[in-house]
Amino acid sequence: MLVEENKQLSRDIFALELTGEFPYEKATSGQFVNLLIGDGKGHPLRRPLSIASCNPETKTLTLVYRVVGDGTKWLSERCPGDVLDVLGPLGRGFPAPQNPGTVLVVGGGVGVPPLYQLAKELGAAGFKLHIVLGFKNQDDVFWTREFAEFGDVVVCTEDGSLGKKGFVTEALNVNENWTTLYSCGPKPMLKALKAHFQGRDIKGYVSLEERMACGVGACWGCTCLDPDGSAAKRICKEGPVFSWEEVSL
Amino acid sequence: MSVDLEVDLGGLQLRNPVMPASGCFGFGREYGEYYSLDELGAVVVKATTLYPRLGNPTPRVTEVTGGMLNAIGLANPGLDEVLAEELPWLAGQNVPIFVNVAGDTVEDYCEVVEQVSRSGLAQAVELNVSCPNVKLGGLAFGVDATVLRGLVEEVRKVCTLPLFVKLSPNVTRVQDLALAAACGGADGLSLINTLIGMQIDLTTRKPVLANKTGGLSGRAIKPVAVRMVYDVAREVDLPIIGMGGIYSGRDAAEFIMAGAWAVEVGTANFTDPYACPRIIAELRSFMQEEGIKNIEEIRGCAL
Ligand SMILES: Cc1cc2nc3c(=O)[nH]c(=O)nc-3n(C[C@H](O)[C@H](O)[C@H](O)COP(=O)(O)OP(=O)(O)OC[C@H]3O[C@@H](n4cnc5c(N)ncnc54)[C@H](O)[C@@H]3O)c2cc1C
Ligand SMILES: Cc1cc2nc3c(=O)[nH]c(=O)nc-3n(C[C@H](O)[C@H](O)[C@H](O)COP(=O)(O)O)c2cc1C
Ligand code: FES
Repeated sequence: MLVEENKQLSRDIFALELTGEFPYEKATSGQFVNLLIGDGKGHPLRRPLSIASCNPETKTLTLVYRVVGDGTKWLSERCPGDVLDVLGPLGRGFPAPQNPGTVLVVGGGVGVPPLYQLAKELGAAGFKLHIVLGFKNQDDVFWTREFAEFGDVVVCTEDGSLGKKGFVTEALNVNENWTTLYSCGPKPMLKALKAHFQGRDIKGYVSLEERMACGVGACWGCTCLDPDGSAAKRICKEGPVFSWEEVSL
Repeated sequence: MSVDLEVDLGGLQLRNPVMPASGCFGFGREYGEYYSLDELGAVVVKATTLYPRLGNPTPRVTEVTGGMLNAIGLANPGLDEVLAEELPWLAGQNVPIFVNVAGDTVEDYCEVVEQVSRSGLAQAVELNVSCPNVKLGGLAFGVDATVLRGLVEEVRKVCTLPLFVKLSPNVTRVQDLALAAACGGADGLSLINTLIGMQIDLTTRKPVLANKTGGLSGRAIKPVAVRMVYDVAREVDLPIIGMGGIYSGRDAAEFIMAGAWAVEVGTANFTDPYACPRIIAELRSFMQEEGIKNIEEIRGCAL
C-alpha cells in the first residue's frame, strides 16, 4: 500500500494513513494488519498493528502506533509516496452488541486506536456510547476530539495532567446500566475492568496482545488459555478480540 | 528451456523439491487461503504428539538479528484430533503429507507413527528428535547416537511409510547421528532443526522468552545448515531434506548443491506468506538461467 500521510499525534504516537489495494470492505474493527519492516531482510517478523480506521469509500486505512523499537521507528520515518507491504485484515474483530442500550468503550494507551473504528461502526448503527480513554499523562493523549463525534468521552491520565486523575476503572460507576463493554489496552487494565464489573449484567469483550510470528494462525506462537487453562487459543486467529468468558486474563 | 523440478525422494514422487517446514505451516489451512497447496512439493505438518499439548508459556517467539527464536514447546491438538480433523482436510488438497511426530517416550513415538501409518492419510513420517524446547523427549532422543538408533529401530517396526529422521544441529558431529538413524532403518534424513539461543531484554534485564531459551531459525542459520547437509551427504547414502534459513530459489539451489534432495522452508513463510511458491518459481528460473535441465544435475555437486 501507499503512504498518504504519516502524522505525529503526540509525543511518540503517529497516525499512518495508507491507500491503494486492500480489501477495505472485509475489514472490521478489532482486526489488525501485519506490516513488513523494510524488505524483511533486517526484520523477518512482521509487526502487528490494529486497524484504527478503514474507509472503503475513500479507500484509506489508518494505523496509529507508538514508537517503541526499531520497527515502529522505521515506520515513523516513512513519507508520503512510500510503499508498504501490508498483510490483512487478520484475526477476529469486535462482534456487534447483543443487546440494545448504552455501550461502554474503554481504551488505554495504544489500545485506543482500534476503538476508533469500533466507535465509528457503533455510532453508524445508532448505539449510544460512553467512551473512557486512559493515558499515562497529557503528552500521550490523542484523538479525544475525534471520539467525541460518537459519544460522550471521559479522559483519564495516571498523573492527572489532563482529565480525571487515575486509572480508567476509577472513572467507571458499576451501577450505570451499560449493556456491553469493549476494551483494549494493557493487560492489567483489562484485568481490572473484568474485576470491576464482576457479577454485573454486562457483556465484556477484550482485545489481547502477544508477540507474533506468522500472524495468520500457522505457528502457534501467540496463544492464550481459556479460563480453566485447558485449551489454547491463537490470538491472531481466534482473537485478538475475545469475550471475558473465553480467556483467562 | 523447460526444466524438470520433479524429485524421487526414495520412492516418493514430488512435483518439486520445496515444502514448508514443520511448525511453520500449521496443518496447511492458513496458508491454503493464500495459494493453492497443490503447488507445493509436499506439506510437512506441525509436530503431532499422542496427547494434546498446550506448549510453553508466552512470550514464545521473538525476533533476533537475522532470524527469530521460538519456544513453542510442541503445542498441537494431539493425535486423535489431527487424524479426525486436520489430515482429512489436508489429504483433500492434492499434496503429499509428511507428518512430523514427537513424543516423550519410545512408546509414544511408536503409537503415533503406527496410527498415522494406518490412517492412509499421510505419505511420509518425519520423526522429530530435535525439538530444543521441551524437557522430556524431543532433543533427548536426538543427541545420543545409541538412543537415537534404538528409537528409530522401534519406530521402523510399526512404520509402513517412508521414514525421515529430523536431526538436531545441537550436537558435535551431526554425521554420527545421521549414521545412527540410517542404521536404525531410516529412509531419509531432514536437517536442520533450530539451534538453541537466547535473547535478553535490556529493560527487564531478563530473557525475553518465558522459556528463557528458544530455537534459532531464519537467515542466520543458513551457513550452519548448509555445512551440516554437506557433512551428512558425504557420509550417509540416504535422501536428505535440507533446511535452515531458505528464503529464495538460490538458497534452495545451494542446499541441493550441498547434497539435499529436497528442501523445507520455515521462517520465510512468516516474512512472506507466499515464500514457498515464490521459491519454487525462483528455483525454476535459476535452473533456466544456468541451463540446468534436471535437479539431479546439481544435487551434491559441491561434494
Ligand atoms: C494484534 C495486535 C495489535 C496491535 N496494535 C497496535 C496498535 O494499533 N498500535 C501500536 O502502537 N501497537 C500495537 N501493537 C503492538 C505492536 O505490534 C508493537 O508495539 C510493535 O510490534 C513493536 O515493534 P518494534 O519493532 O517497534 O519493537 P521491538 O520491541 O523492537 O520489536 C521486537 C519484536 O517484538 C514484537 N513486539 C514488541 N512489542 C510488542 C507488543 N506490545 N505486542 C506484540 N508484539 C510486540 C515485535 O513485533 C517484534 O517482533 C499491537 C500488537 C498486537 C499483537
Ligand atoms: C515457530 C516454529 C515452530 C517449529 N516447530 C517445529 C516442529 O513442530 N517440529 C519440527 O520438527 N521442527 C519445528 N521447527 C523447526 C523448523 O521446522 C525448521 O527446522 C527450522 O525452523 C529451520 O528452518 P528455517 O530457518 O527455514 O525456519 C519450528 C520452527 C519454528 C520457527
Ligand atoms: S502468530 Fe502464528 S499463530 Fe498467531
